[in-house]
Amino acid sequence: MYSILELERKVVETGICTNCGACQGMCPYWKSCEGRTFVDYDCDRKEGRCKYFCPRMPADLDALRDRFFGKDGCEIIPEIGPFRALYLTRAADPEIRKNAQHGGTMTALVEFALQEGFIDAAVLSKAEGTLDPVGCLVTDPAEVRECGGSSFQIPPTLAVLNEALAEGEYKQIGVVGTPCKALAVAKMKAKPFEENDNNADNIGMVFGLFCGWGLDWKGLAALGDADHVDILPSKFHRMDMDDRQVDLDEVLPLVRNACKYCDDMTAEFADLSVGGARSAEGWDVDKGWNQLIVRSAKGQQLVDLAREKGVLEFREFGDEEAEAAAMNKLMRASASKREKALKL
Amino acid sequence: MTTKNEPGKTYLMQGNEAIVRGALEGGVHFASSYPGSPSSQVLGMLGHIAEDQGFRAEWSTNETTALQSCMGASFANGRAICIVKQNGLLFHGDTIHCGALGGVKGGLVIISSDDPDSHSSTNEFDSRHMAVSANIPMLEPASVQETKDMIPYAFELSEELEQMVLIRVTTRICHGRGSVTLGEIPEKRPFTPIGLWDRMVGINWLHSFLLEKLERAREAFEVSPFNHYMGKEDADKLIITGGTGMKYVQEALEEFGQEGEVGVLSLGCLWPLPEKLILKHLAKASKVLVVEEVDPFLEEHISAIAGKARLNVEINGRADLIPPIGELNPEVVFKAVGEFLGEKPKCCGEGCPAIEGVNIPARELTFCAGCPHRASFFILKQALRMEGHKGVVMGDIGCYTMAGQRAGQYGYHFMSCMGSGISAAEGLGQLTNYGFDQPVVSLCGDSTFFHSVVPGLINAKMNEANILHIVLDNSATAMTGFQPHPGTGQTAMGYETDKVSITALCESLGCRVWRADPFDVENTKNLICELIGMKGLKVLILEQPCATLAAKTREKKKVWVDTDICRGSNCGCDGYCSRVWGCPGNIWDFEKNCAAIDEVVCVGCGACASICPSGAIKVEGGDE
Repeated sequence: MYSILELERKVVETGICTNCGACQGMCPYWKSCEGRTFVDYDCDRKEGRCKYFCPRMPADLDALRDRFFGKDGCEIIPEIGPFRALYLTRAADPEIRKNAQHGGTMTALVEFALQEGFIDAAVLSKAEGTLDPVGCLVTDPAEVRECGGSSFQIPPTLAVLNEALAEGEYKQIGVVGTPCKALAVAKMKAKPFEENDNNADNIGMVFGLFCGWGLDWKGLAALGDADHVDILPSKFHRMDMDDRQVDLDEVLPLVRNACKYCDDMTAEFADLSVGGARSAEGWDVDKGWNQLIVRSAKGQQLVDLAREKGVLEFREFGDEEAEAAAMNKLMRASASKREKALKL
Repeated sequence: MTTKNEPGKTYLMQGNEAIVRGALEGGVHFASSYPGSPSSQVLGMLGHIAEDQGFRAEWSTNETTALQSCMGASFANGRAICIVKQNGLLFHGDTIHCGALGGVKGGLVIISSDDPDSHSSTNEFDSRHMAVSANIPMLEPASVQETKDMIPYAFELSEELEQMVLIRVTTRICHGRGSVTLGEIPEKRPFTPIGLWDRMVGINWLHSFLLEKLERAREAFEVSPFNHYMGKEDADKLIITGGTGMKYVQEALEEFGQEGEVGVLSLGCLWPLPEKLILKHLAKASKVLVVEEVDPFLEEHISAIAGKARLNVEINGRADLIPPIGELNPEVVFKAVGEFLGEKPKCCGEGCPAIEGVNIPARELTFCAGCPHRASFFILKQALRMEGHKGVVMGDIGCYTMAGQRAGQYGYHFMSCMGSGISAAEGLGQLTNYGFDQPVVSLCGDSTFFHSVVPGLINAKMNEANILHIVLDNSATAMTGFQPHPGTGQTAMGYETDKVSITALCESLGCRVWRADPFDVENTKNLICELIGMKGLKVLILEQPCATLAAKTREKKKVWVDTDICRGSNCGCDGYCSRVWGCPGNIWDFEKNCAAIDEVVCVGCGACASICPSGAIKVEGGDE
């Protein structure tokens, strides 16, 4: 079967496409509009990169994990994947925190990685409040801040990565993305076509975002615009859009089908992953903080340097018991997403 | 085509030229037409000579206006000729029926050209039924010579009967060539003033006169020189043909060596049928084969004549020995005549091209190199895909009808007759108020817009249609060969006239109008997406002159492929320019396995450069 048709039938038509953009930006056939990935003309190649890059197409995940983390000396935890350390952090700069969903750790780290040369460009997502999220390529650290916050949608950011890789100007490109995007990037780095690898070696670091689900674009737009959106811990059962409180029952129907089948909450194929803090101390203490999983040695290097240079603030767990409790909570949450995905 | 008055001299002429010469020898005062293959060229030629020859030739906005103009000219005893194709004749419908009832003064001849096998049409309708329905006399020539000769005869007959006369021709007459011996070109007859009590009114109390005229025509047809009989006088086997059928039959009989044995009655007068003449031969035959183009018209009427006369005769034709559809050709007629005679041709055995046909690779119809329609449909498909492929596209008749194939990305869902797209879209679009949840887009070209879309647009406006109507304005009636239309500012006789602005016309109706360039792919795509999402009646005019016209005036840009950049058939391109875009100028270099430009075919529009995914197609120089 044609590669493009196989992908269309198995992923797009079945509704499990997340619109990550991994299939886009390499050829004229795959496109995206308002969160929907589509093909407008058929390509008649039997084997194409689109099919192999798609995070929703079957792949040997163990082999991928082994290839990118096997010799890295990290632990593999079944619930959350490759693991080195868990921290509670936030950006030291209060300006960054102002626009952040939680503690601004991701913004601070990407900006810092650019400044320190860990990466020479970053592929990020940007939105006007919650509207029209797009992928963008950033090379000036100062521009990273404009991409802070969350739009709760999945723009096809990896299309921008593919375009940047094809251009070949940047040799250490950092990518920030949801778990589906982190997996797709791992598939790109695995180079299914050695002779047509789109310069995959120029991918520097992957910064993973915790993700529960993405929302339908049009549906979310219908709820109105907001500069700051946050989904509170489950006991609150609500989403805050600036000062408005929206009942989660209004939001849940907008969850994209594709996300319901996802079993990765913590972006296991990233160098490091960032989400909202969920410690044992509760929401009042955690508000404004992130939890940060460090997975790769390079990720650890970056975080250590960020601590040393005071870019990130760290909140200690207190004692070992508290740390174990936080770890447990995280593993339970991640396992719960796996269970739900598998049950469906 | 010669305009010299040299009776008796013989020239080689195309059938369409013979029509022009026939009109001239018929002393024509007024000629009008809307272009349609296979008779598109006729009025253009008449336009060229009209000034010198002292008559009026004009392109009409549609076939109905063309015929009605002829009726006006006839009222003052002018001789008028109206040239249309089969669809044009059907478009005449009401006019031809009412006109026949009212009759004519000066001779009025309608030439209707049929297109068996629909070489340049969407159908192969048979014009002949219209003569029966409207009760008017009809002729059909069997050769190019007869085509010319029939026109003066038809003018005379028309005036004698005070009735319009239809001459049916087919593609093989129009586009075929033959020797034509000229007749005399008469002095132009002066007009007759229309008196206070002169009337030309189509009203039912004239019905009996209408039938009476037809009976007089029948009498004339019984002795007409356009009916021929060849072969044995009391032949048992009789072949009856109309029009070009005669030539095929003669050829077949020669092949079977049966010219003398079989009777051939070739009819030039098709309605009303010369019953006595037919019965004379029919009565002696036991077996009849009818050979005619498209419908079993003669076959059925002759069966009726035989039945009324209680003849015991077997009648074959389209019902059995000849396929029920499609054009006659030597293969079909040889087979039919062979079966009719119970003989095999002696020329050769198996593999004979005359019997087996020739195997020629099929070629798809496509847009010309550089055609703006290619870009328009490329964009439209992308825009509709962006909208989740829900949009329904209602097409129309013109070059863009070919968009139903690969050339236009299989670009429409609906296509019927001229002017139908917008009104069908209007009806479909109304359902969006009742739960139908798909955006509706209709299309038409500029010439079709003037032809019959305007009433549909007014209907859409009055009924508050919820559609996007796109006018593919290429400033030409391109399909039929660049005949002037109201938007071009030109006339058939070569002088200039005011252009009718499509934009101004739409705006005067209160339509919201947008204009865009189909070669500006990204912006136009976004505009279409925006308009599809907007409620109500929207008109978008996509302006870009026909590539064939533009190539004549614009300096050609050099377009070439940088083979170092071209991704060829690799993942990331897969021959996008030649395989998807599909312009005949975009070809494939099989040696280098990459794209190439056919410099002979390329018109240098440069549009493909904007769709090349790797930027390998380069454009240099030319007018911007």
